[in-house]
Amino acid sequence: MTVALVGSGLAGFTAYQTLRVELEPEEIAVFGTDVDPAAAWRRRAAAIRQREMRSESDGHCLPRSFPGLAFRASARRRSPVPLVASFLDRFHPTVDEFLAHVEQLRERSGWERSVRETRVERVRATDGGFELDGHGTFRHVLLAPGHPGLNVPEELRGDPRVVHAYEPHDYADTVTVVGAGLAAATEWLNALGAGAEVVSVRRREPVRQQLNVPRAYFSRRGLDAFHELGPAERTARLRALLAPSYPRGRAWDEPVGRAAAEGRFRVEASVNGSAQVICATGFRRGFRSDPLLARLVDDHALETADDWIVVDADATVPALTDETRTLALAGVSAQWAFPAADTLVGAKYAAHGFLRRVRSCRTR
Amino acid sequence: MSYTLRGRIESRLAALLPLLAAACVLALALHRWWPVEAAALMLGVGLALDAQAYHRLLPYQPGWVAVPLGALELALLVLLMRWAGIAAPVEPAVALFVAGWLLAQLLGHAGFPLLRLGYAEDGGELGRVGAAAAVGVGVLLAAAGGTAYALRPPVVHLSAGVHRGPLVIARREVLVGDPGAIVRGGIVVRADGVTIKNVSVVGGDYGVVVDGYDGTKLDRVSVSGAKLDGIHVRFATVMIKDCSVDMLGNAYGQGIDISYTMDHGMNMIEGCNLVGGMEGIATHSSMSDIAHNTITHTTLRGIAMTEMSMGTITQNEVRNVTGVGIVCNDHSMCEVERNTVVGTRPSPVSRGVGFLASYLSEADLKHNELGANPVPVAVLSNSILRRPGRS
Repeated sequence: MTVALVGSGLAGFTAYQTLRVELEPEEIAVFGTDVDPAAAWRRRAAAIRQREMRSESDGHCLPRSFPGLAFRASARRRSPVPLVASFLDRFHPTVDEFLAHVEQLRERSGWERSVRETRVERVRATDGGFELDGHGTFRHVLLAPGHPGLNVPEELRGDPRVVHAYEPHDYADTVTVVGAGLAAATEWLNALGAGAEVVSVRRREPVRQQLNVPRAYFSRRGLDAFHELGPAERTARLRALLAPSYPRGRAWDEPVGRAAAEGRFRVEASVNGSAQVICATGFRRGFRSDPLLARLVDDHALETADDWIVVDADATVPALTDETRTLALAGVSAQWAFPAADTLVGAKYAAHGFLRRVRSCRTR
Repeated sequence: MSYTLRGRIESRLAALLPLLAAACVLALALHRWWPVEAAALMLGVGLALDAQAYHRLLPYQPGWVAVPLGALELALLVLLMRWAGIAAPVEPAVALFVAGWLLAQLLGHAGFPLLRLGYAEDGGELGRVGAAAAVGVGVLLAAAGGTAYALRPPVVHLSAGVHRGPLVIARREVLVGDPGAIVRGGIVVRADGVTIKNVSVVGGDYGVVVDGYDGTKLDRVSVSGAKLDGIHVRFATVMIKDCSVDMLGNAYGQGIDISYTMDHGMNMIEGCNLVGGMEGIATHSSMSDIAHNTITHTTLRGIAMTEMSMGTITQNEVRNVTGVGIVCNDHSMCEVERNTVVGTRPSPVSRGVGFLASYLSEADLKHNELGANPVPVAVLSNSILRRPGRS
């Protein structure tokens, strides 16, 4: 066995589906703490009571964009409506549809034959491969460790009123939501729907866009120019692109507008006397927050830029990748190559690059 | 999808390759070049728009935008085909475009993503398949162009001077008259695909006769002194451009008579100058476009579309004729637009009518100048006349 995936979440799972185009389950080792690839994501989606995906028809774990979830929904419902909605960029699969799709893929792809339920703490480069913490040496390794943990602003840590949006919670009568992204916007609506009075605390006005980043950054149209940026420019661009955002649309604006008119929603600069403070502040950022990646950088003196490990356009680590071996990143840690790397399309992007490397290696 | 320029071009070439191949097969089956010409023009329009407009204006292209862009490309294609003189039947040509568009959608949304893992993230680029498609399109177009070149009809030059007729053309050829070339006694076409250019015909029973052969083109042909009709067409198709027919002194002949060609397709008579004869242009059981012609001094009718004929009569000038300027007669269906009919004189059987619809015919009149006639418009024998605008 020469190919290993470190991380059994959705990014690792998507990479696995891509590798299965060429490899059998017995040829792929997946190291992770949970055999259910959607386990972590499911908990977070349930916590914010998310019902619909932000992603569109191609937000799935299959290696090819077709058939997408709109096509499958049309076939299942025997209705052209999902396809037409997708044609108009109005299709968003439900969370249940997405999770059913993951479950179906998990069953039929041989995933469980490849998963080894163990945590890899360290990756060391050896001659012609990588040694994974005593679990063997592999020629091609993709690291998809996921988000390094929930982010709670320092000034709010220890406050008994505080709960992170991605932890299970109900709503008090007065709720302050900290943050300006999709989770925050979802929590505004949830809390308003529960009858609460809501205060939005945010450092900046949220960006309104349909997907996590502008659409051009999902293809070479925008990526080629992005890849040509120098480290300082690319860091600045990434910070701008990754600013909190949520989609445009009446479904978001009308409830908030109504509540504001009724005096039940307002924006403030800081947390005040609400009974509950929900931190919709996402995840801790940067490779230093992830012990596996931090050790990898330190052990091999890898090039970094601010919070990011510097990777090639195909999300491989240049210092540890050559014609005989591959070390690639996927998920949020691959943002240096693909700004929306923590999306399903981003996971596919990294997976495609990894598969190309595996294919091109004659000794795999 | 956010296409790169290369992705747009490769996707378009790969999507059009099967259509171009089908057009070549269709051309072979029909013995007509229009499918290949239309497909090549479709490709040219698409590539030009890709490079000059779409790439700059559409950094991201939602799926639905393909519909208005397709309509735009179809409109440009139709205009360019007219401008280039590609004689394609409208419905099959539109069907070919729609088939190509649907195929492109199918391949863009399903085929190419299945073929290439990273199709969307590569901005529509197809890698080796794209390069192969470009080569394939080039090879097909070169093969079609080479075949067309090899099959060009021979060009025969008719030298200046008077040539004794009747001149019989029994093979597909282009007959080009040098300045001063005259055929005395008429020309008889006895092959498909004959072109006659710059030739004057004097005398003969008919000036030019085409009976039973398709695809004849008469370009700048002049006829005078014919005993019966100037240009006589039966069971055939013709395109007549910029002709001159002088029938003065011939009380019973027609300048141009196209009859019983309904099964053969459209005829076109454009830019001709006809003087004298009983009728200037007459069609019987035929489909014809009659446009930009000048007809004067006929003794019965200027233009007659009759006996279950169909077609358009547009922007013609009919002056000083006797009887009727333009007639749509005997179960015919005529679209009559922007014609000028003036100075029609009464005859023993007519009071001098600008436009006449008679005997169960249907005519649509739009924007014609018919006022300067004793009777501007007449409708007889259960015919239907529709006049939404000023007529």
